[in-house]
Amino acid sequence: MKAMHGRPAEYGAVFKYVLLLPAVLWVVAFTFAPLIFVIRYSFANYVLGMGITGYIGLQNYADVLASDRFWHSIMVTAIYVAVSVPVEVVLGFIAAWLVNLGAPWARGFRTIIGMPLFTMEVAIGYLGVTLFSSQGGLVTAVLELAGIEVPWLSTPSGGIAAAILLDIWRWTSFVFIIVLAGLSSISSDLYDAAILDARNHWQVMWRLGIPLAWPVTTIAILLRIIEGLKVFAIPYALTTGGPGTSTEVFSAMDYLTTVQFFNFGQGSAMGIIFLIMVAALITVFFKQMRKRLG
Amino acid sequence: MTKILWLRASLISKVVVYTLLALAAVITLLPFLWASINSIKTSTATFEPHAFIPFLNFEPTLDSWRNVLSDPQAINAFISSVVVSVGTTVFALILGVPAAYALARFQFPIRSGDIALWFLSQRVLPPAVVLVPFYLLMVSLRLVDTWIGLILCYSAFNLAFAVVIMRDIFRDVSTEIEDAAKVEGATPWQIFWKISLPLSVDGLIVTAVLVFAFTWNEALFASALTSQSATTFSALVLASRSTRGVDFNIAAVNTLIGIVPPVILYFFVQRYLARGLSFGAVKG
Repeated sequence: MKAMHGRPAEYGAVFKYVLLLPAVLWVVAFTFAPLIFVIRYSFANYVLGMGITGYIGLQNYADVLASDRFWHSIMVTAIYVAVSVPVEVVLGFIAAWLVNLGAPWARGFRTIIGMPLFTMEVAIGYLGVTLFSSQGGLVTAVLELAGIEVPWLSTPSGGIAAAILLDIWRWTSFVFIIVLAGLSSISSDLYDAAILDARNHWQVMWRLGIPLAWPVTTIAILLRIIEGLKVFAIPYALTTGGPGTSTEVFSAMDYLTTVQFFNFGQGSAMGIIFLIMVAALITVFFKQMRKRLG
Repeated sequence: MTKILWLRASLISKVVVYTLLALAAVITLLPFLWASINSIKTSTATFEPHAFIPFLNFEPTLDSWRNVLSDPQAINAFISSVVVSVGTTVFALILGVPAAYALARFQFPIRSGDIALWFLSQRVLPPAVVLVPFYLLMVSLRLVDTWIGLILCYSAFNLAFAVVIMRDIFRDVSTEIEDAAKVEGATPWQIFWKISLPLSVDGLIVTAVLVFAFTWNEALFASALTSQSATTFSALVLASRSTRGVDFNIAAVNTLIGIVPPVILYFFVQRYLARGLSFGAVKG
């Protein structure tokens, strides 16, 4: 590295480890070590108050895989991500493109559109109850004016749809902020050139904006998928998984298994199964990030 | 921003752009407005969603604010959130920033980007997956339902942000001054503490705000690892969702109190935000 001409090997040879190691040890202690315990518990018969009473091989895994509730939560999570992420990406991209045009007050719009990302998700879910409630809910009331009646929180599909709408409200801002950074880093010379041989605005966006912002957008998409698969707060605060367990996402299911029923064995096995299911996605994510991090 | 496209646009395009932007802004702000209005309504008045204008459509009252603010549990939860979020931010930066600097300036047997990626890798774990060992760890350390317990967890989760973002920021700082200081005989510590760090204050602030906001908004661990004395505001909101049912006006007050602190901080940081949120993969 350029900072180290002279005697590269000696300068800061100990110092650099003094700086780095505490953080490494911290992450090992509080993330990777717990993960090893998760693997151990997934094979164990855990009884509350007694701890591990024995190892039961793959029984926890078999129980989880045979559970309808588990598969249902996987399906809800998959639908949730499959619907919300594409919408967020498209809306976030369009919003970023419009703000990036540099209209007067664009900065004000930027500030407002980026804001939801900093809001507390459980609070948004909780507020969502008052938005989608059949009695006095804002969304319900507005739709009523148009003569549309949607049973938001009383049906499974309505509940999931409401949660997805809130998710889109909350997370579009994330795509927006990242894509905007990508778009604004495109040199204005390129815009000047593009505008000369494009017939209209859309061509500039399709030929210049989208291709050049694509690498950044990929990162936004991957991060959204990874975060989306972990989703808990918005849908859980909105519907608490109901009616019944019909709108329960994976994280909520795992959370309840662990915290409410103290079924640590199955809770752990569930987590491992989930990680295996999304392993391919995680691999793609790491490959992309590795390229970018340099 | 790209003025040229705007200057060359026709009047109709300009109108369309403004309409769309205004629409986005309205949709973004509407829930806040809705919460604000409900927060000054009586419980019965909240069932009149069409009554939107205070004094004209309904008689505003601060009862729900008084109700929440006089509840010792809510106050305690708010204080918990402040302490835990600030504590986590400080702790994550103390651990993460030096590591980030080391990765930006020195060579290690493993490629610096790969070490950064390793820090990042924990972020793919669904939090519910590591809940069991964390819970048991906290039980054995007798840290269940304590601020310290939460700070320990959260600082580990947020370390990735501090390391990856700050590494990126440090790499952007020119090394010329550092090299000059080195020639003058400054120690590595002096260079880090007195030169690089002050030059990276902007990035430091953004990182701090992000860590603060993520900690403030986290609810799953907060609910699982606390029961009463260390309950954070997010955990309280989640709990009141199921215990108190939904009083629109109370929900509105809770929502606003929970949302406002990180949003205020957001207004102060915009520059490095995209880098921070993409873990440095997006260059500013």
